Amino acid sequence: MMKALNYLRADTIDSALQYLDEFKQDIRILAGGTDLVVRLKQDMVEENNILDISRIKELNDIFRENGAIHLLPLTTHTDILESETISKYAFILREACATIGSPQIRNRGTLGGNIVNASPAGDSISALFVQAARLKLKSINGERVVSIEEFFTGPGKTVLEPNELLVDIFMPELEENETGFFKKLGQRDALAIAVLNVAVKMRIREAGTNAFDRAVVAFGAVAPTVVRGRRVEKAIISSSLDSPEQIHYIARLAFREVSPISDIRASLKYRQDMSINLLYEGLLELSANDWKRKV
Amino acid sequence: MAQVIDISFTLNGKECKLSVPANAVLLDVIRDKMYLTGTKEGCGRGECGACTILFNGRSVNACLILALQADGAEIVTIEGAGVEKKLPSIQKAFVEEGAVQCGFCTPGMIMSSLYLLNKNPNPSIAEIREGISGNLCRCTGYVKIIKAVEKAGKDIGK
Repeated sequence: MMKALNYLRADTIDSALQYLDEFKQDIRILAGGTDLVVRLKQDMVEENNILDISRIKELNDIFRENGAIHLLPLTTHTDILESETISKYAFILREACATIGSPQIRNRGTLGGNIVNASPAGDSISALFVQAARLKLKSINGERVVSIEEFFTGPGKTVLEPNELLVDIFMPELEENETGFFKKLGQRDALAIAVLNVAVKMRIREAGTNAFDRAVVAFGAVAPTVVRGRRVEKAIISSSLDSPEQIHYIARLAFREVSPISDIRASLKYRQDMSINLLYEGLLELSANDWKRKV
Repeated sequence: MAQVIDISFTLNGKECKLSVPANAVLLDVIRDKMYLTGTKEGCGRGECGACTILFNGRSVNACLILALQADGAEIVTIEGAGVEKKLPSIQKAFVEEGAVQCGFCTPGMIMSSLYLLNKNPNPSIAEIREGISGNLCRCTGYVKIIKAVEKAGKDIGK
């Protein structure tokens, strides 16, 4: 049996911000509930006030504006998979969301929830890293924008203040000459928390070549937060990905980027090895497809 | 004193009004207050899909929704799926293919199949496997379930 709760419902951003300010230290936000309700059942939630934001229409949309894609936080993973805008301009995020949970979880779970939960293994987060997402946080005192990389400070920890609400997630539209992928290793295909995941975005220097002038690589579930693979990025830019041997040489640099732990899902050593292999496999598949994106 | 709130929702086409405590889960309300016990509780944490229902047209795990979140929602459970013309085909196909053994996962399997076939009446085997990936069956090994969904899709397409 779940403990007694005080349920609050906000139908506008302003009313949500008022509640957050009023209850500050003792309030927990409920959106899709796919994570929070499990925690409530396990008695892992200290807060007594539950603020249901799932009906705030101003927080539920996908749109393009001035070269950026905006996904408002109540966008579900299914909304992302069904959006043509996303498959064109944010396909790496789309690939990540396709691996999350199950149809039932994707129908209910939100992008904002996946971000704010701040799991080091959050599948959308690595993709948001490489797509250079920015987050708009709002409170009754004003609003601020932080980059996705600045947002996380540790497992389950973020810079979000108790009276702040995530109100927008936006990122530059992917361009024609940009390619990339998201790959996840789980213990099974559905409903698996990632053993690790990797997201890659690269900009092709000149069509028909194996040269890139920009690369962003992010690994999930191998450190306290999602981490960038900066050595790998530099190597991709400074060399030409002409052969499987060359790609493997670059992928092996992943070993030095990650600082995983051993837990119930995998050992430290396995995660280290697999961070190389997953990156190698993804790059190899992309190269075999002449660096064309999947969708 | 626990907070109790009045809500209303449509359950299998019927208007329902009731008072529920803030900590009640929708699955428990459906089973223990509305006495519709076709929707099952397996894991209680969104991994097995035995509690799958349609919530505003989308398949969800009823065990992960607070009952208060159902205020104003349109809900279809296995008992109400019969009012949708597609269900008899799915049920018939499950029977004909022998896709039921102990039966515990069946209501959830059928609701996931209904959601899939509503979106995509002619799914490939891969799409069926993905469509029921949120539902665990510990008896059949899935082969017969997949055949049944394939058959139901063909029947509906006729």
